[in-house]
Amino acid sequence: MAKYVGIDLGTTLSGLAYLKSDGSPEIVPNGDGERLTPSVVYFDAHEDVKLVGSAARDGGDPARTIFQIKRHMDDPDYVIDIDGKKWAPSEISALILAKLKRDCERIIGEIEEVVITVPANFNELARKSTIAAAEMAGMKVLRLVNEPTAAAVYYAQTQDVQGRVLVFDLGGGTLDVTILQVTGDTIRILTSEGARHLGGSNFDDLLLMLFDEQYRSQTGQDLFSDERHRRRILQLAEDAKKMLSKLQRVNDTVANDLNSGIARIDLSRDGFEDLIRGMLTRTLLLVEQALDSAGLTANEVDHVVLVGGSTRIPKVKKVLEKFFAKTPKSCGNVDECVALGAALFARSSARIQEVCNASYGTLAMVYNATTGAEKLANSVVIPKNSLIPCSQTQIYQTSEDNEQVIEMDITQGEDEDPRFVDVIGRLTLEVPPGRPKGCEVEVTFSYDANQRVQARVFDRQSGRSKEVAVSYRGAGVLSEEDLSRRSMHLRAMRIE
Amino acid sequence: MFRKVLQSLSRSLSSRPKAEFTANRAAPGSLLERLADPFGHRAGGPSNPGREAAELLCGISPNMPRDQVAAQIKLLYRRYNRAASSLDANVRAEAERMLDAIVEIREQWFGPI
Repeated sequence: MAKYVGIDLGTTLSGLAYLKSDGSPEIVPNGDGERLTPSVVYFDAHEDVKLVGSAARDGGDPARTIFQIKRHMDDPDYVIDIDGKKWAPSEISALILAKLKRDCERIIGEIEEVVITVPANFNELARKSTIAAAEMAGMKVLRLVNEPTAAAVYYAQTQDVQGRVLVFDLGGGTLDVTILQVTGDTIRILTSEGARHLGGSNFDDLLLMLFDEQYRSQTGQDLFSDERHRRRILQLAEDAKKMLSKLQRVNDTVANDLNSGIARIDLSRDGFEDLIRGMLTRTLLLVEQALDSAGLTANEVDHVVLVGGSTRIPKVKKVLEKFFAKTPKSCGNVDECVALGAALFARSSARIQEVCNASYGTLAMVYNATTGAEKLANSVVIPKNSLIPCSQTQIYQTSEDNEQVIEMDITQGEDEDPRFVDVIGRLTLEVPPGRPKGCEVEVTFSYDANQRVQARVFDRQSGRSKEVAVSYRGAGVLSEEDLSRRSMHLRAMRIE
Repeated sequence: MFRKVLQSLSRSLSSRPKAEFTANRAAPGSLLERLADPFGHRAGGPSNPGREAAELLCGISPNMPRDQVAAQIKLLYRRYNRAASSLDANVRAEAERMLDAIVEIREQWFGPI
């Protein structure tokens, strides 16, 4: 049985690693002989089989092919309808995980417990859905760990670095920036910031638009008229992007699916860099946000580490080099280090101190006794970057005479302005009638190691209290009963 | 000395403030030109309405001190980067426009990356 197993469940690629007997992590290839498995699922129309990986990505009907399901893990209402059956995002992810588990077990033995990586700013629902996906695939989640944390663990342990490290993780679908402090064999995360929809696939989409524009200028026709052909051209665009990381110019010929002729596509690295410049500026804005969040300046960072396939783009490295005035280091194989770090994390999680990735609080009217000013504010109970697990309490007052139900919104976000935070839940507590306003209420938030939040409200006068874990309802959220039933179903499924 | 009174306003917070974005983004030119200059200020010179739209959106005035501009960008980026992953498509679209404007202002004031 493999004891320490880490899985990188990525937007575009997924990988599984384990710790060998000498303590070093190793990627386990899938049944197709690939070290990483494309996170794509294909539902065949003729045979009762689910294809996962390259075969799913390269072949079938786009209407039956699911790409980038990870981008929907936080959407409670997102479901995919295939032949009348509705699939939640967690079920699609479960198919990917099941493929990894089944294939890799043939090489390393039974896999029971795993560490799975998630983007640093994955919300409550996305984390819960990831755990549900693993359970459906027949694995227990020992811990969820943030992707940049896993990459940093791998980098710190393999490169033997000390000091402040900034991990810049630009993957297929997301950007995460994490700053951590390495002291001896202890790693303390200082902060993590993320941009959920900023990654290599955004660059591919821009290149696709450029292909289409060049095609139209030469033929007067659109380059694609259906999803299947659009996918093929998108793959060409992605290939061109990869080549532009090595070459200054790339040429290709493309045709549409309506026999409107062939067009020559000319791309230069300079042109590509100009195309993505706005996106790259956004990546730098996130770096600045991370530094601000950690209270650091660029020159207080000792090492800049690159993670994720999109950091192969030379301009990414140049931009960071200019900003930090030091050369960023690549984290070995940028595609694999998250999975490798997750396997290391499975063994050494006790020496890794993580922090709360967002602030949690409630809405309150705040009165300043000195100035007499009052304003409605997002009142933070657990500030972002608090060491986890943690629990914190603040005292509030009731707002009305004879208030019989105390209502408390649960907010996520740092902004003091309530318009710029998310209300992710609500807690209500019935209290006895006839009380004046101003009764004291304790509000406690707890944050566990898997970065999931619980809220508790306690009415001091009546002694009544209520506690809730943040929960979601929607067509894409599975109940415990659904989860159990679909786990049984999935285990009997043919997944190739 | 602060006193905090619980409020529950989930229902009234359903609508975030809408950015007053009025610039014509369907600027002529190739994709590269449009992406490199989304607000059209290079083509239009110093008094181009596209540039002014970005400044207006971000609450920046031409005589503002640089540190104040930096603080404003920081605040807006944090807000709209978060909004860019909202489940509400309208909020996401608004956030994308604001992020474009923030990028524009950063490049104008602090130079290209």
